[in-house]
Amino acid sequence: MISIKKLSRSFGEIKAVDEISFNIADKEIMGFLGPNGAGKTTTLRMLVGYLQPNSGTIELDGESIFDDPIKASSQIGYLPEQNPLYDDMSVAEALAYIAALRGMKHDIFVQRRNFVVQNCGLKEVLHQRIGTLSKGYRQRTGLAQAILHDPRILILDEPTSGLDPNQIMEIRELIRTLGREKMVILSSHIMQEVQALCDRVVIINKGKIIVDDRKDNLPNYLKNSSYLNLEVQGEAIDFSEFILQHPGIEMDIVSQNETNCIVNIYDTTELDLRQELAKFISQKGWLILELAVIKKSLESIFHELTGENTETNELPVLEEQP
Amino acid sequence: MKAMFIIAIKEFQLAMRSVSTYIVFTLFLVISGLIFSNLLFKIALAELRFLFEVIHVIFLFYIPAITMGSIAKERQNGTLELLSTLPIKLSSIVWGKILAAMLQLKTMIALSLVFFGIIIVFGEGIDYGTIICGYIGLVLAGMAYVSIGVFASSIPSNQILAFVLALLISGVFYVLKFLMPMVPYSVVGPIQYLSFDFHLTSFLKGVIDSRDILFFIAVTVVFALLAEFNLQSRNMMQER
Repeated sequence: MISIKKLSRSFGEIKAVDEISFNIADKEIMGFLGPNGAGKTTTLRMLVGYLQPNSGTIELDGESIFDDPIKASSQIGYLPEQNPLYDDMSVAEALAYIAALRGMKHDIFVQRRNFVVQNCGLKEVLHQRIGTLSKGYRQRTGLAQAILHDPRILILDEPTSGLDPNQIMEIRELIRTLGREKMVILSSHIMQEVQALCDRVVIINKGKIIVDDRKDNLPNYLKNSSYLNLEVQGEAIDFSEFILQHPGIEMDIVSQNETNCIVNIYDTTELDLRQELAKFISQKGWLILELAVIKKSLESIFHELTGENTETNELPVLEEQP
Repeated sequence: MKAMFIIAIKEFQLAMRSVSTYIVFTLFLVISGLIFSNLLFKIALAELRFLFEVIHVIFLFYIPAITMGSIAKERQNGTLELLSTLPIKLSSIVWGKILAAMLQLKTMIALSLVFFGIIIVFGEGIDYGTIICGYIGLVLAGMAYVSIGVFASSIPSNQILAFVLALLISGVFYVLKFLMPMVPYSVVGPIQYLSFDFHLTSFLKGVIDSRDILFFIAVTVVFALLAEFNLQSRNMMQER
């Protein structure tokens, strides 16, 4: 288990990460979400020991990773954001180099190499120079390097960026398989990815954690997590009577003309209004063309939770960095 | 320790694959060959001392060129992040780079054995001891320059800047000998002691003095430690 307590890191005046705390259990896939510049990469870099925090602790099974960084890093597989690779080497050479630096024994290396080559789909390019590979293959090579030593903890910083949809599916499937046995921390700003893969989501914005919960609980963070979208046909459409009968609902007219009306109905009481609404409309003699319950996606939750702060709090200007 | 050799071998292998390495080797042989043959044919001098001094000057440019990429390139490509998150010590990275550059340098020095061979075949009354001493001195001085180069490479993420920086620092150690007549008598001693040329000259004369060996080793270690410190502190100062 990794537990992070009051971790802070600033760059000059800018607080990239500000007293964040969370835990990650074994065999858990954690989604680490946030807009660009929120502090995701900084946090991950501290987790792998590449950056020293200004304050706070990172403990792996109760021991600080900075006490014995070599022991900690031997348990971690890390795919950095930019996916840096040795362009002059072939894929096979790069894997052998990483394995040698990790001190892997030859027979274990051969076994693991076969595994990663198979699972990351690197067979065709094994002896090709990395510099000549496409973005997708580069990303797979980076992932192969990260999982080569069968790490207990896998830290992936935007692993599917630059891949085409098919490759994204493959890599996601691989991450899902790996997540059954390993602790995976997946940083991303792609919501579908987190939605598809993660058990738990931590959302970070402006260096602070704003949400840390199971994925299924996320809709609770919003007042109106779902709403009704209604399209009605009829003459002189007017819902004011209905609103009077049901205090606590809000109506937002999307478009209206003489015979047609589209409205969004927000209900703060969380009751199912559909029956009442249908009865009301049939009494009036109108016709329902469409009635749908729209659930807000993780994407809109993300947008609402992080978007608001962006307006009130201006983004740091890069020139201010020392 | 093992990681150091793995890094060194990989660096050396990659360097040996690159065409530019061979171009530089050829250039080196042409320049030193011109000087060597000039001395040999014009004044029939069967010794390598002057050649060694020329090689010392070549070092000033050649060594920064082979070390400029050592760390700066990794920083530029981001592979330093990969390397420093592997379970290896930062000192292994620094010493691995130094070792790799040393291997390349020794290959180049080995090429100049051609001239030694020519002298053996055609010369008379050759002072083998002096020449061997000279080679030992060159390797030691080269090691110190390599360490300076790797240190310079650990500062910026720009390779050209690393080259200039290495050239400047090495240059300071080199030009000290020209400063000697201009400084007060009391500081001549310390300045002379810091001059690379002063220590190399005794090797070229055929004298192996433990103080000279110690000096070059000390310079190497100091700059290697500085480079390591730099990596460590740059980690802490890393930009987002």
